[in-house]
Amino acid sequence: MTGVPHGAAPDGRRIEHRIRIEPDGRVLALSGKIEYGQGIRTAMAQLVADELDVPFDHVQVVLGETRLVPWDIGTFGSMSLAVEGRILQLAAAHARRLLVERASRRLDVEPAQLATADGVVRCRRDGRTVRYVDLVAGDPLTGTIPEDATCKAPEARRWIGRAMARVEAHALVTGTARFVADVRLPGMLRGQALRPPLPGARLRELDDRAARLVRGVVTVVRDGDFVAVVAEREQQAAAGIQALDADWDAPRDPEPAGIDVVMLEAGDLAAGFACAAHVLEASYTVPHIANAPIGPSAAVADVQPDRAVVYCGTQRPFALRSEIAAAIGLGELEVDIRPQVTSGTYGRNSCGDAALEAARLSKAVGRPVLVQWSRAEEFALSPHRPEVAIEARAGIDRDGRIVAWRYHELTNPHTAVAMFDPNAARATSGRNAIPLYRLPAARVELHVQPGQVRTGAFRSLAAAPNIFAIESMIDELAAAGGIDPLELRLRHLDDPRMRRLLEAVAERAGWSTRPRGHAGRGYGIACAVYHGTYVAEIADVEVRDDGNIVLRRMFCALDPGLVVNPDGARNQVEGSVQQAASWVLRERLQYRNGRVTTSAWEDYPIATFRDAPDLIDIQFITDGGAPMTGLGEPGCVPMAAAIANAVFSGTGQRLRTLPLSITKSR
Amino acid sequence: MRYRLEVNGSVHDVDVPRATTLLSVLRDDLGLTGTRFGCGHGKCGACHVLADGQVVASCLVDVEHAVDRKITTIEGVADGDRLHPVQAAFIEVDAMQCGYCTSGMVISAVALLARRPRPSEAEIREAMSANLCRCGVYVRAIAAVKRAAELAPCEPPGVP
Repeated sequence: MTGVPHGAAPDGRRIEHRIRIEPDGRVLALSGKIEYGQGIRTAMAQLVADELDVPFDHVQVVLGETRLVPWDIGTFGSMSLAVEGRILQLAAAHARRLLVERASRRLDVEPAQLATADGVVRCRRDGRTVRYVDLVAGDPLTGTIPEDATCKAPEARRWIGRAMARVEAHALVTGTARFVADVRLPGMLRGQALRPPLPGARLRELDDRAARLVRGVVTVVRDGDFVAVVAEREQQAAAGIQALDADWDAPRDPEPAGIDVVMLEAGDLAAGFACAAHVLEASYTVPHIANAPIGPSAAVADVQPDRAVVYCGTQRPFALRSEIAAAIGLGELEVDIRPQVTSGTYGRNSCGDAALEAARLSKAVGRPVLVQWSRAEEFALSPHRPEVAIEARAGIDRDGRIVAWRYHELTNPHTAVAMFDPNAARATSGRNAIPLYRLPAARVELHVQPGQVRTGAFRSLAAAPNIFAIESMIDELAAAGGIDPLELRLRHLDDPRMRRLLEAVAERAGWSTRPRGHAGRGYGIACAVYHGTYVAEIADVEVRDDGNIVLRRMFCALDPGLVVNPDGARNQVEGSVQQAASWVLRERLQYRNGRVTTSAWEDYPIATFRDAPDLIDIQFITDGGAPMTGLGEPGCVPMAAAIANAVFSGTGQRLRTLPLSITKSR
Repeated sequence: MRYRLEVNGSVHDVDVPRATTLLSVLRDDLGLTGTRFGCGHGKCGACHVLADGQVVASCLVDVEHAVDRKITTIEGVADGDRLHPVQAAFIEVDAMQCGYCTSGMVISAVALLARRPRPSEAEIREAMSANLCRCGVYVRAIAAVKRAAELAPCEPPGVP
C-alpha cells in the first residue's frame, strides 16, 4: 500500500484544500474518499452546511479527484465519516470563524455582535450584512485547520441528525447518473483483453492475423503476457478475441509465502482448561465468496504523450494513480484520476484492474479506450474473499465462567497486495480475532498464506468470519453450561456501551419470550465492536421442513457515536444485513485447480427480492459524547453467528460451515 | 444494417452490425446510458426496458426484434420534469444505495403498477425478483413500490 503522499498533493490539514467558497455561492468540500452507495457525499454535505451555516444544497462535495483533493489512503474500514467527515466538519467550523473575523473587520463590530446564516454574516445590532462570497473575493480562506476548532452544540444543529434524501437520488432514478461505463469521449474505442487459461500463465506464441481482419478491429495490442483487441464496437472486440490463436506456458509456481502471528497471549491456558467443567472444540469454515458487484469492472482512459485522464470506479484513487503512472511511464502528477459514479463493489474496487487495462490500451492506440469486463470475467478474475478455517477450543467452569480460550485462524491475505507483515496481518486478516470478553487465559493465533484463488479486500475483511467463529463458540459454551446466551455474554462484558446494546436489542426482539424447543423457529444473538462502532443483533429464523433456512426478522442495535443522517445510516445497516444474509445462506465460489469455475449468476445465486426479511429493525443508541464512527460494515459482521445461533435454537443443529445448510432430519 | 427504432416516443435510424443487442444500440448509438449492462444473460435486471409495455432484458434482445415495438427506457419514464410515481417514491423512501440496479428496478415497478395498481407484497416480491441488488435495498424497494401505488391513487400509473 502506498504510504506517503508526494509531489504537489494538496495538504489535507489546510483549509484552502478542504473548503472553497466559489463566486457563485457554491461551497466546495474536498475529500479523497469515494462515494459508492454509502451516502457519505450527503452526510459530508450535512456536516459542512451545519458548521459553515450555508444552505445544504449550496454544498458540493468533491470526492477522490486526484488533481483537486488532498491525498487519501483509500475508502475502506467504515472510516469515511469517522476521519474525513470529522476533518470537513472542523474545516467548516474554522472557516465560519475566519469569515466572522473578516466580517468583524469589514463592518467594524465585535465578532460577538455577528451572527451567521445561509452564507451571510449579519450584525445583530444594526442588521447590516455581508455575504461570505464578498468576504473571500480575491482572498480565499487559508491556513491550518485547528484540531480543536469549535463545532456547534447539538441543539444549534440544523442539518446534522436530520434524515436527508441522497443527493444523487434524482439522477439515479431518472437514469442520468453517469456511471463509469457511461463515459463517452470523442473517438473512444472499446478494448477487451485475452484471458489466459490460468492466472499467471505466460504467453508463448500469438497469431493475431485473423483477429486483425475482423470488421471494426483497430488493432491487437501485445505487451508482455497482456494481449487485447481494440475495436470500434464492443462485440467487434469480442469477435477479435475469439479470432486470436494463443499458446500459453504454465504459470511459474509462486514463491512460498506466509506469516504466523500471535495476536493475543494471556494467562495460564493449561491451568484454565484444567479447571473447566466443559471443554469444547470446534472448527468453523468460511468459503471463498465473490464481491459480485451488479456492475462489472469498467474504466475509460485517455492517455496522451504528456498526460492521462482515467475515469473509473476506485476505492484508492491515489494508489491507482501511482500504479497507472508506473504502468504507462508518466509522472504521477501527469495522471488525473476522475472517479465516476460506480456500482457498489464492497472492497473489489481497491484493485484497479480495468483502469490499468484501459490505460495500457489507450497509450497503445493514442485514443480513449473503454474497457468493460463481462460478468464471467468479473467472477473469474476479480480478487475474492479469502477462505477461513478456524479451530477453537474453549472451557467453561461450573459457575459459568469462561476460563480458557484457544483460537487459531488460518486464512489468505485480505488485501490485494499480500502484506506478510505482522502488523498489517493483524489489522486485516486478524481483524476482530480477539474476543471482546473477559478471558483469564487465552491464546489467539493467525496464519496467513496465499491460496489457489486470488484474494483481496471484502467488506469488513476478516471481521465477519472471525465473529462467526467467536460468537458461535460463545453460544456453544452457553449451551454446554446451561446458561442463557445473552446472560453468558453480559457476565463477561464490562463495557457499558455493549451491555446497553445487548439489553436493548433483546428487549426489542422479545428475547425473554423467544420460541424454544427446537420447533423450527429460533432466535440467535451475536455482537461485535467494529472500528469503534458497537453492534448487537438478533436473528429470527425459520427452518422449514425441507431444510430451507429463512431469515424472517432481524433486530439490530448500533452505537456509532454521532449519527449524521439517520435515514442514510439506517439504509447502510439494512443493506449490510441483507447482503450478509446472502453470504451466509447462499454463497460459495466454485474453483478447481487454481481456476474459478463460477462464471454467471446461475452458478452463484445471491439473495433476491423473494428472500428479503419481513423486517429489519434498527435502533441507534448513542449518548452523543462518543466520536463519530462508521456504518458501512458493522451491521454485516455479526450476521453469520446470529443466524447460525438461531438455527441451533430452532433445530438443535449446530452449523459451523458457511453457507449454512441444514441436514434434513426427515 | 440499418434499423428504425421508436424509443421514448422518438423515431431513430441506426446503422449497426447485425446481431447487435438493443442494449448496445441504446447505450452506444442513442446515448441512452441509463440502461445499465449487468450480466449479458438476462439474469440481473440492470438492463430492463419496456417493449410495448412489457419488461424485457435489453441485453437479450437483438436489435432487429426491437423494430416495430415501442421501447421505453429509464430516460423516458418521467413526463418531462414530472417524475413517475415510482421514481418519486424511490427518492422519498431512499430505496437505493449505489444505484446501479435502480434503473432496472424502476422499469420493473412501472410495469407492475400499470398491470396491478394495488399489488400485494407477495406480488411486488415476485414482479421484482428478476432485479438483483447487491447493496441489499430490497426491503426499502418493496416499501417504495407500495408508496408509489399510494402516490397514484386515482388512475393506474400509465406506461409512458
